[in-house]
Amino acid sequence: MSNIASNGKAGTTKSTFSRQTAVSIDIQADKSIIWALLTNASDFPRWNSTVISIEGNIAAGQTIKLKAKLDPKRVFKLKIKEFESENRLVWGDAMGNRVYTLRSIGNNLTNFSMVEKIGGPLFPLFAKMIPSFDEAFEHYAKDLKTEAEKISSTK
Amino acid sequence: MTIDQFTKEFELARPQLKSYLLRITASVEDSEDLVQDTYIKASLKLDTFRAESTVKTWIFTIASNLAKDNLRAKKRWPETVTDICREKALSNPDYFPEIAQIMQSSPQAAFEIKEHVTFCLTCIAKSIPLEQQICLLLKEIYDFKISEVAEILESNEAMIKYYLHTGRTKMVDIYEGRCALINKNGTCHQCSELNGIFNPKQDFEVEKNKLEFAKKAEDPNREQLLDLRLQIMKDIDPFQSRGAALQLHHIQHNRKIMENFSEKESI
Repeated sequence: MSNIASNGKAGTTKSTFSRQTAVSIDIQADKSIIWALLTNASDFPRWNSTVISIEGNIAAGQTIKLKAKLDPKRVFKLKIKEFESENRLVWGDAMGNRVYTLRSIGNNLTNFSMVEKIGGPLFPLFAKMIPSFDEAFEHYAKDLKTEAEKISSTK
Repeated sequence: MTIDQFTKEFELARPQLKSYLLRITASVEDSEDLVQDTYIKASLKLDTFRAESTVKTWIFTIASNLAKDNLRAKKRWPETVTDICREKALSNPDYFPEIAQIMQSSPQAAFEIKEHVTFCLTCIAKSIPLEQQICLLLKEIYDFKISEVAEILESNEAMIKYYLHTGRTKMVDIYEGRCALINKNGTCHQCSELNGIFNPKQDFEVEKNKLEFAKKAEDPNREQLLDLRLQIMKDIDPFQSRGAALQLHHIQHNRKIMENFSEKESI
């Protein structure tokens, strides 16, 4: 993830059979606050403007149902594939994976990165139908930063 | 620490502990039992107390664990708890005779809006997740520091901040949608309704404006309104107040209704 600038700007790289979008941002908050926000499914719509709802438990081996504003008619059934507390979370389906990574960088500062790679042999057939994730990723990172920093400043 | 020293400290903490447990369980009987269980458990474990925390923090830690065990199998209450219980009270032929009996026999049966506000807060707080409710009570009502709340809940400060923030946000949202004292379109008018019954000669507008949060209803800082509401709760001992007998009856009534309540029930 070291090649993503931590400025909250999303970037997408494309190839014939896949597409990858990434965003990274530094957040002035403890990792556990960010982890709590990322793993509390029912609380997502309160702080995350890109999510309509998440049903289920974000925990190892569980399946969640996610509705996103980018494509509100679809319900994404996603499996929690990796769950390494306060460090790494991966969810995905047959199309691809989204990887969340948290890294302490000192002085109560945490680097958050989110990368989603989608693709496969049939990807070229429907690639044009999938909207860009860039804007949604930037909102996601910004919302997370705002909320986590607000919580962190609680006295 | 000797048992005598501990007992002295426990007696100092007892009123706050009992009110804390009442506000978590909404049951006089359970709160009294839990106070007693806390004393016994702490006495038996006295040799393990290392004075790394205050005695009060240690007592509240034991009490919180016992309360969590007590509530583990119980459902959280719905946000509409006061509506549901109001309807049940109105359809219960024994409810008002019981109230009349309390008013005749108890010196603590005055109806005061601020006490009803506290009763309401107790009920609404039971609709947010238990960890959030406990954090809110310990931090905002019983004056524990975030580090002490973390110790009591065996968590870390970051998580306590998260619970506090989410709990407070939910409480603000619930009151925003429901409380007619702060929102003209609020659906709950129970305090004015009851004040009209118990204190028919009072001018509700005058009484309402004695509550800081109601007076500041137009203030865009809704978090501050919650703080003012919490301040009222902080200043009231639910067992010693002027209307304690009346409000405890209301709480017990709601608890009984909620124990038999199913989400499918309509009001």
